Amino acid sequence: MRKQWKSALLGLGLVMPSFLILLVLVMYPVWSSIKTSFTGADDQFTFEHYQYIFTEPLILNNIRHTLIVTVLSCLLVLIIAYSIAIYLRFSQSTVARWINKTYLIPMFIPGVIAVYGFINFYRDNGWVARIIGEEYMPAIIYNVKGLLMINIWFNIPFTTMLLISALQSIPNSIIEGAKDAGANQWRLFWHFILPLSYRTMLVALTFLFMGIVGSFTAPFLIDRNAPQMLGVSMQQHFSVFNEIEQSSSLAVFMFLLCSIVGCFYIYSNIKESKKELK
Amino acid sequence: MKWFNGVKQIVTGVIIGLSALSLVACSSGNDEGDTSDKTEISLYSSGSKNVEEFWEEVIPMFEEEHDHIEVEFVFVPSGTGGQSTMDRILAANESGNDSGVDIYEGSLEDILRGKEDGDIFYPLTSNNIENLSNVQESNLAGANDLAVPYRASSVVLAYNEETVTDIPDTAEELYQWIKDHPGRFAYNDPSTGGAGSSFVLSTVYNQLEEGAMDIQDESIMEEWGKGFDLLNELAPNMYQEGVYPKKNQGTLDLLANGEVDMIPAWSDMALEQINKGLLPESIKLKQIQPAFTGGPSYLMLANNDDEARKEAAEELLNYVLTTDVQEIVIDQMYGYPGIKWDLLSEEDQEKFADVMDGYRIFNGGELGGKLTEQWQKEVAAQ
Repeated sequence: MRKQWKSALLGLGLVMPSFLILLVLVMYPVWSSIKTSFTGADDQFTFEHYQYIFTEPLILNNIRHTLIVTVLSCLLVLIIAYSIAIYLRFSQSTVARWINKTYLIPMFIPGVIAVYGFINFYRDNGWVARIIGEEYMPAIIYNVKGLLMINIWFNIPFTTMLLISALQSIPNSIIEGAKDAGANQWRLFWHFILPLSYRTMLVALTFLFMGIVGSFTAPFLIDRNAPQMLGVSMQQHFSVFNEIEQSSSLAVFMFLLCSIVGCFYIYSNIKESKKELK
Repeated sequence: MKWFNGVKQIVTGVIIGLSALSLVACSSGNDEGDTSDKTEISLYSSGSKNVEEFWEEVIPMFEEEHDHIEVEFVFVPSGTGGQSTMDRILAANESGNDSGVDIYEGSLEDILRGKEDGDIFYPLTSNNIENLSNVQESNLAGANDLAVPYRASSVVLAYNEETVTDIPDTAEELYQWIKDHPGRFAYNDPSTGGAGSSFVLSTVYNQLEEGAMDIQDESIMEEWGKGFDLLNELAPNMYQEGVYPKKNQGTLDLLANGEVDMIPAWSDMALEQINKGLLPESIKLKQIQPAFTGGPSYLMLANNDDEARKEAAEELLNYVLTTDVQEIVIDQMYGYPGIKWDLLSEEDQEKFADVMDGYRIFNGGELGGKLTEQWQKEVAAQ
């Protein structure tokens, strides 16, 4: 019993520093913005800031725009990253080896620099326009198309990395066994590979959603002026309009969006570990 | 495990070395503070990179000439809470404490705020700041005897000489030019930079009577409609049928690339970039009538009840208004000088010939933010 106590204390002691830091650096700011978002001009409790963000057409359009861009980006990234991961898992070709070596590069380029490079590449008289002719150039910069493209560019490396590791943990014996039993490629995919990797897909989706819904740099520099992504709108309310309460309520709303996705992730994790315990 | 021990030794060595260094650094700092009889003052400033570079050049020059004064320079980059310095001064004044801020570089709004709250700033006249008599009188009006307007800049029209033949002289002609040349004009999102916000401000207030820019009462917002109608009317003729790039630099980039032919821009930013070759030489600047907005930058002396520091700070303010420093303002910041034009060399006067036509000062206080908010709702979201 004493030994158990000791190890419990040790465990707590090890967790304590990071928990305390979390408390000071995360919990307290979260709490204070929740409080600010419910505080009116006369320090009284009020719902007016939430009323504002859910009735003002400007913000409603921004919320709709944010959700559309986030969901579309997540789906596109997931589809592309999953295809790359499958290809890299099962192909031994030189091309695959090269992709394997290079797909992580975008992760190491700082965001702002990547965005400026992207703008120079795709703007109306940029590199691409010079090659294909300015009159054939579709509007990409200052357009939602450009935003989707740069989101894909930023998020593919990490997502692919996650998915590859999931796919690589599927033992070859399973795949070979299924093949020997006469499974064709579709069957193999639907009944073995997808079920064995879909949980990692959920994890990737969670990270993607949280990263894109709160993004600032790319939408600030590439998107149109309206509707805006929530991150941009929040910054504008905070530092240009000096509406600290309204931007707090926007932040709380975004926090709720992310925590819904987060709960979903935790729930699926718990379910899984329960299964393993049995 | 051998390599691990090696690493451990190195890490320990580094930590010991660093702590020893930091101790040395501390003690040497203390020695200096204890033994000298220098007056230490602090200068809080904010803005873009060029402001920081300006002070980093001027302060050592000042300290060399006045070896009994030491200036601590604190720079708060714009957009990272510059207002907090003002809040700090106000809070210290309320509680009767020393704010630690002696000289504060701020805006017209800060002066008004300081005036409302009483003795936040020391009064400044040519009695205590001799060179104040050299300052341009039009700039002194807003200073309320509480500040030194030591430099200025304004928004001007920047255009490409090679593609623009009918250069507009007035605001009306500019609006007509925009309509005649769809897609060739751009102004930046007013929430992200002063050039775009000056265009929006001027366009809205050009529709109102003269003197409207000094009104701080919110009732004037009802009269903004006409200006916003004009902005909406112009919108389809803007760059990409209504795209407003982010930041002052966003439109300058478009002008440099040749994607547009005309933009509103800050005089100092545009002059600097033309001189450094970042903008092609075919880019020219011009002020139209009625002019875009602009204004001086002010230096204020925060009241900390310390006579020695006050006198030292006054000396610095006086020094900033000498021709030597004013030439740095002109040559390196490409800003308008704070002192009268005729005190400067003819060569310097010539540099500003294109943009010397002045500027209007917007004195609407918080209405500026409200205007941007309305722009976001009515023009951007159109």
